[in-house]
Amino acid sequence: MSQARQLTFSIFRYDPQDPNDKPQMVNYYITETPGMTVFIALNKLRETQDPSLQFDFVCRAGICGSCAMVINGKPTLACRTLTANFPSAEISLMPLPGFELIGDLSVNTGKFMRELAEHLQLWLQPNDTDMDIHRIEAPMAPEEAAKLYELERCVECGVCVSACATKQMRDTFVGAVGLMKIARFELDSRDSRTSDDFYHVIGNQDGVFGCMTLLGCQDTCPKDLPHMQQIAYLRRKMAISVTNIT
Amino acid sequence: MKIIYTDSLVVGAGLAGLRVAIASKERGLDTIVLSLIPAKRSHSVAAQGGMQASLANTVKGMGDNEDVHFQDTVKGSDWGCDQQVARMFTHCAPKAVRELAHWGVPWSRVSQGDREVIVNAQKVTLTEAKEAHGLINARDFGGTQKWRTCYTADGTGHSLLYAVDNRAISMGIPVHERMEALKIIHDGKRCHGVIARCLITGEIRAYVAKSTTIATGGYGRIYEVSTNAIICEGIGQALALETGVATLGNMEAVQFHPTAIVPVGILTTEGCRGDGGVLRDKDGHRFMPDYEPDKKELASRDVVSRRMTEHIRKGKGVDSPYGPHLWLDITLLGKKHIDTNLREVKEICQHFLGIDPVTEWIPVRPTQHYSMGGIRTKANGESPQLSGLFSVGEAACWDMHGFNRLGGNSLAEAVVGGMIIGQYVADFCQQATLTIDTKLIEHFGRQIDSEITELIEGGGTEKTMTIKQEMLKIMMDYVGIFRNGTQLEQAVNELSELLKRSRNIGLTCKKRHANPELVDALRVKRMLKVALTVASGAHARTESRGAHSREDYPERNDRDWLNRTLSAWPDENALVPTLSYEPIDVLSMELPPGYRGYGTNNAIAHPDTVIRQQQIEQILAELDNPSDRVARQAAIMPYELPDDFMPANQRLFDNVDVKGDPAK
Amino acid sequence: MAVNPLPAKNILSRYNAKGFSHPIWAARADRLQSASGVLLGLFLIMHLHFESSILLGKEAFYQVAQFLEGGIFSETGHGFPILTQIFSVVMLLVVLIHAVFALRRFPTQIGQWRALRQQMKFLPHEDTKIWFWQMVSGFLLFFLVPVHLFTMITNPEIGPHLSAERVVYQNAWVLYVLLLPAVTIHAIFGLYRVSVKWGLITQRFALLKLAKVMLAYLMVLGVASLVAYIIIGRSLSLPVVPFVPGL
Repeated sequence: MSQARQLTFSIFRYDPQDPNDKPQMVNYYITETPGMTVFIALNKLRETQDPSLQFDFVCRAGICGSCAMVINGKPTLACRTLTANFPSAEISLMPLPGFELIGDLSVNTGKFMRELAEHLQLWLQPNDTDMDIHRIEAPMAPEEAAKLYELERCVECGVCVSACATKQMRDTFVGAVGLMKIARFELDSRDSRTSDDFYHVIGNQDGVFGCMTLLGCQDTCPKDLPHMQQIAYLRRKMAISVTNIT
Repeated sequence: MKIIYTDSLVVGAGLAGLRVAIASKERGLDTIVLSLIPAKRSHSVAAQGGMQASLANTVKGMGDNEDVHFQDTVKGSDWGCDQQVARMFTHCAPKAVRELAHWGVPWSRVSQGDREVIVNAQKVTLTEAKEAHGLINARDFGGTQKWRTCYTADGTGHSLLYAVDNRAISMGIPVHERMEALKIIHDGKRCHGVIARCLITGEIRAYVAKSTTIATGGYGRIYEVSTNAIICEGIGQALALETGVATLGNMEAVQFHPTAIVPVGILTTEGCRGDGGVLRDKDGHRFMPDYEPDKKELASRDVVSRRMTEHIRKGKGVDSPYGPHLWLDITLLGKKHIDTNLREVKEICQHFLGIDPVTEWIPVRPTQHYSMGGIRTKANGESPQLSGLFSVGEAACWDMHGFNRLGGNSLAEAVVGGMIIGQYVADFCQQATLTIDTKLIEHFGRQIDSEITELIEGGGTEKTMTIKQEMLKIMMDYVGIFRNGTQLEQAVNELSELLKRSRNIGLTCKKRHANPELVDALRVKRMLKVALTVASGAHARTESRGAHSREDYPERNDRDWLNRTLSAWPDENALVPTLSYEPIDVLSMELPPGYRGYGTNNAIAHPDTVIRQQQIEQILAELDNPSDRVARQAAIMPYELPDDFMPANQRLFDNVDVKGDPAK
Repeated sequence: MAVNPLPAKNILSRYNAKGFSHPIWAARADRLQSASGVLLGLFLIMHLHFESSILLGKEAFYQVAQFLEGGIFSETGHGFPILTQIFSVVMLLVVLIHAVFALRRFPTQIGQWRALRQQMKFLPHEDTKIWFWQMVSGFLLFFLVPVHLFTMITNPEIGPHLSAERVVYQNAWVLYVLLLPAVTIHAIFGLYRVSVKWGLITQRFALLKLAKVMLAYLMVLGVASLVAYIIIGRSLSLPVVPFVPGL
């Protein structure tokens, strides 16, 4: 076996609540272990070198979407990023841009997503409001269920938002996450909203027509969701739907 | 200190907590949820395989109903569960699944006609009825007689949590994110809310409420390796324990999941085996049929985990730098199935192991997975000792799992328990009034404040991380799958010593806001108490039941141990918990203790078992209509539920038989 | 059970909006921008091919120009330069429509510009970079294209000698040196983006590769033609006599 590598982590440090603190990049050094992920490395750094280092992990298995950060210029989930992926042994870590910074690598994606959901009404609005939970459920085409699940795999990690230059330039743009979720409910046969209803929410410059197809979302999504295809679908749908609006 | 008043306070924004909040809000109660993290990141999201509910839509689920689900659950618990609670649960599970479909969960659906599946490593063709087309599908899981686990691919927890949280958002239920509850406000009889600390600003706040529901999940992270999210540190249990009044139930009942990947301990779902995957040893031999010829890989989780450990001890494990492991082989399921139904598993294998499970075997080993124990509650979810304190989900010992939980029953408990207990919480809030002396609130607020000051300025010399790591290792080495008296005693002693040392922790990072070291220090002190309840309970229980397996007492002992361990911490300076026992009454059981169906039947019987069996025979003999299963059940063991949930569950095969003809 | 979902917020009020802020214009603007862009992009590809016929000789170019000016409809076989003028006016209108709707996309505030630069620095991403160059080239074209079109409107004669004269003696080569790369980059990546944007293709990376090949090809074609005109232009003696076929 070859000798273990020395990794250099260059980490963004800033505590916005401390008036004397200034944003800076700080270098940390650590010996690589087999199978080391950024999750393992950051925890080790906090345990052994700097207990004040802030970052967010929850499931550490790529499922919960807590730990997105910019790793060597690519926004992605830190928990499942192996340090072995970086031949240069130099790894820079930055917080996701476009979100409120809590400190160091920790950003408030939760607040963003909740506001987005309230704003775009990202929940199922079924036809029959008085359903009977004691009776056999309404059938759904198996293919539809499978398709909905595919679109529902979004973990709200915020990577698509941070990778979108449009969103970075225009704060009011809803971003891929919002559009993907609208596409999911638009496809759901149980949802009572019509294309017109959706047009009122996203048929504008802050919605689907504000998207400039820069595809940062598509190229960075940790769940490989079909952003390009779905946003195009919505755009076509909305462009047709507009003919009904007077 | 800011004081926030509400009707229904919920601590924890996972499935169970959110479901209780929704039930409260539906009744027009003011509701607030506290959470360490954004709701959708809660650990419920990680449940992959599915939730059990006896819908009986599929051909392999035919004939399933509440009775069969009940039997599986009780047997799975090794008769340690509360059978009335298990009944409440199995009756409401189909309702919860149907309600969730209405809230947006894209349950996988049945396709009529033929489909090929893998059963016992063989290809089998199943033919689904025309009437079942489009209804909710189910897959096979361990320890069940029927295919009963409803699912959405292998992201069931994700779909459920998102649907339920979306529902909560639509109702305008506020979730106070990054708020950590640290103390329960109480007067020894009545719970009044919690003192919480904001993880961003460090602000200490009091949340005062008519009812307080703890739904903080399990305590898996007291172990070094666990499939649990890193926030599952048992702080909810510690909150209750530190009241000195409320009790924790069956804390020694800790489940080890057979198939977590090596070394990181991330779970691969039971659906892998449910869908036909098999376990292999270093020779590629499929060994489970040697031990359990009947259920094989799909025996109960505790059984499979023990058999795997036995097999490894025989030298059949695969050596690795991280110790021996076994193989999970899902290659026989084929690429298409893995790409659609086991996608998360595939992603995990790719990212953390660098392998493709379509062609390669997955290295696995039994790993801490679930906490059957938790805050002891009555059937309505309320603490028997502290009025107004409720608990639900994995955090609670509502006790439908006893000493071992069936796969697919935890997601189910979260939503079904939340649904039922949510009603009781709402009832309580509507009847209760809030009378509290603000001095009491300040008293508890000051306790937290001085605890923090002591950590920052007290000049303590112990390091948080050292103590935490020692605790993790003790639990790992001495309180694992197989346990014995010597090691457990050592565990209790060493943990007590650590608890003493933890009172002398000092911090390097002196910030009062956003300070991860402070967060850890506050938690470690609490986790140690929780760990001590686990180790002490395990040490005292001299029998083997479900997941609690004593090498020195290998038999299940119903005569002396058919009871529930209760731990309390009445003296805050004590170094061990106080244990007491709550008997499980055989004479009121619907299903008296019997053989579970695994290994040799070496149980020491309870004297009441025979009596109860005779009683049941007599009750049945006296029935007017003995063929009516509902009447039979009601005569043997009546149980209560909120009125809304009493109606019977309709099933497809109530009306048609498997061929789709009208039933005779 | 009482269910109380949040009321629809931000909706409906938009209906009252008048003129371009009416929601109907969001979809319309996007469609018009794409449609005019496709039109201009396809035209450009044809344009470059037509004028590169000079590479096949003066005769070839003369015939192409005469044909496009409607030569077959005139008794002499010579075309009508007025067609070039009319066509140029129409193109100018299409360019204006495209520009008006595309301008929505420009970062209008310094903050937006800074955000874009920052983003590109920290998160290098190919499609974002491509868009950036499209935006820069679009900005240049906003000035260059009208100049080109006005020349064609005021001075519509096209022919091997007359065009070459314009290139060399009226210094139009300076314009073309700027115009050629700007317009090819803008048009080719615009066509790529519009296909992706409306979901006309799924093989995005194959299309991107094709776009790059196309870009290189058009650049070679354009440069070669320009060189040809310069060579012809320099060989001409002043005053320039229009090319007559068969001589």
